[in-house]
Amino acid sequence: MQRLRSLAPGVALGLLVIDLVGMVVLSVARPQFLSTYNLFVTGRDLSILLLVALAQMIVLSLGQMNLSIGSIGGLVAIIESGLMVRYGIPVPLALVAGLLLGIVCGVINGLLVYWTKINSFVLTLGTSYVFAGINLGITHATPFYHIPNEISSFGQARVGAFPIMAAVTIVLTLLLAGFLSQVVLGRQLLAVGGNALAARLSGLPIRRATLTAHAISGFFAAVAGTMLMAQLGQGQPTIGATWVLPSFAGPIIGGAALAGGSAPVLGTVLAMVLISLIDDGLVLVSADPFWVQFLIGALILGAVVLGRTRLSDIRALLRISPGTAHHAGSSP
Amino acid sequence: MTGGALLRQVALLALLFVTAGFWIYFSVAAAGFTSDFNLFSLLRFAAIQITIGFAQMVALSIGDLNLAVGAIGGATGMVAGWAMQILGLPPEVAVLFALAAGTLLGFGNALLITWTRINSFIVTLATASLITGAMLILTHSDPFSRLPDSFTSFSETEVAGLPVSNLVLVMLAVGVALFFLYRNLSLGREMLAVGANRRAARMSGLSVDRVVLLTHGLSGALAATAGLMAISADHTASPSLGSDWLLASFVAPAIGGTLLSGGLVSVPGTIVGGVLLATISNGLLLVGIDNFWITVFLGVVLLLAVVLDRVTRAAGGAAP
Repeated sequence: MQRLRSLAPGVALGLLVIDLVGMVVLSVARPQFLSTYNLFVTGRDLSILLLVALAQMIVLSLGQMNLSIGSIGGLVAIIESGLMVRYGIPVPLALVAGLLLGIVCGVINGLLVYWTKINSFVLTLGTSYVFAGINLGITHATPFYHIPNEISSFGQARVGAFPIMAAVTIVLTLLLAGFLSQVVLGRQLLAVGGNALAARLSGLPIRRATLTAHAISGFFAAVAGTMLMAQLGQGQPTIGATWVLPSFAGPIIGGAALAGGSAPVLGTVLAMVLISLIDDGLVLVSADPFWVQFLIGALILGAVVLGRTRLSDIRALLRISPGTAHHAGSSP
Repeated sequence: MTGGALLRQVALLALLFVTAGFWIYFSVAAAGFTSDFNLFSLLRFAAIQITIGFAQMVALSIGDLNLAVGAIGGATGMVAGWAMQILGLPPEVAVLFALAAGTLLGFGNALLITWTRINSFIVTLATASLITGAMLILTHSDPFSRLPDSFTSFSETEVAGLPVSNLVLVMLAVGVALFFLYRNLSLGREMLAVGANRRAARMSGLSVDRVVLLTHGLSGALAATAGLMAISADHTASPSLGSDWLLASFVAPAIGGTLLSGGLVSVPGTIVGGVLLATISNGLLLVGIDNFWITVFLGVVLLLAVVLDRVTRAAGGAAP
């Protein structure tokens, strides 16, 4: 794990270079890339999808996953807009209720994983259908239109090209990075992800770490769902339906390991910047939108193959067999 | 060991009872449940769901996941539709074409997994997105809806005057072949060995890479089979085909006692699991429960199945 974490700055550096090159290429080839409106729209999409990716990253850092991020985001958006539109609940109250719901959904995931010790993939696959089904059962796939103006204007608010929404994402990202690097529980979370057995033997609070990671995941998903609702100006039941791929693409391209123990916040941010550049670039060259899906798939494969190649190169250099690499790699 | 086997028999029997219970309940409570028309469509739907479950079960048997089951099924369904409608190939040739495409896509997954040693979850997540993306780019998301009658009527044909579609026979044939594979063929035993303990399998001289290759090829071919069955039943090859297969692919094997961690499969269990899944979806709809709530129900069923499996295995204390 030490080995993976020490590689993460390399991944981030590589991504940073690619991002910068991409920005330069796009601004030269398509000058409208730099238009205020384009930067605003791209930045707004990025602020939402980055939260989605971080929601996955925090659970991956434990060596688990959360397939229900999109369903939580959708359910939260529906409950919030329903409370506001149907029941006239004041905006702040509805938002608090929605965000709490996101945390509760996350805690349910965490409790299921912790109690049953079953693969988090299957458990969160199950809960994702439960959350998505409740959403559709309530709405019958019809949106809640006409959400209060405070919310929908927040979705359009900007200072120059800077979307006000992005401020929320920046604050949450910095808080998450601070939590993981400065707070004891955050450090313990990474330790549990790095080696659950060692963590248990040394008395680390595994239950608290699991619940916290899933609660943060649910909270970030809820904020992302709320922001997308604000952007769309309505409570769309389909919010979050397409988030599975970007949620994994960000952390994995950013250098996270499925086995856990690493939480590359910076890498995830830069990976999501790259994905939104690709997304925006395809729009600007008016390419088939389906290319996005294809390219994100290729990017995930490319990133992991590249990361893996580098590790095996190191192994070859040190003449360590794959079986013993783990111990040898973590000693220096 | 025998304790574990006995427990699994009891679990399968219990599953049969639960399914029978639902059938009795719906026969009484849901008007039209036992009509020939409804039974025909229920069993045909079940046959497709079970085949989707088989595609996942095979990957699970070696301890892998195949998140690309839906992508492969959808893409190969489109390949078949294109071959029949645009190229004008006879259905038999188009079917072979689609099965070959599915097998090759499965091989592609396997090669990426064995070459890079990357977790099958990430590989198939990425290839699912690649395959679906490529399919949508190539087809411009246009369906093929003028399939030959000889192809679409296959799924409409009743077997021996019973309300049973030909597709049910296809599924049963596939099931028997898989049962035989895991019970009698060395490849099947090798797959289970790899699933139970990949490292031990490698140490004892098994060519794990070969097993992974064949397994994912088989999983791809089964996904293609399900895709073909679905386009025959739908009378159209739609680009959205396969996009909602993920839950179904796990529910039928999980209810049926296939271990998600590998090393243990149950073909009869997957069949009964798929029938239960189809019965619940069909019956709840008939008693007037909204389609959307059925999604919640299926999610809960998956959760219950894996948790119960955990509990019974803990109680039995037997390693498979």
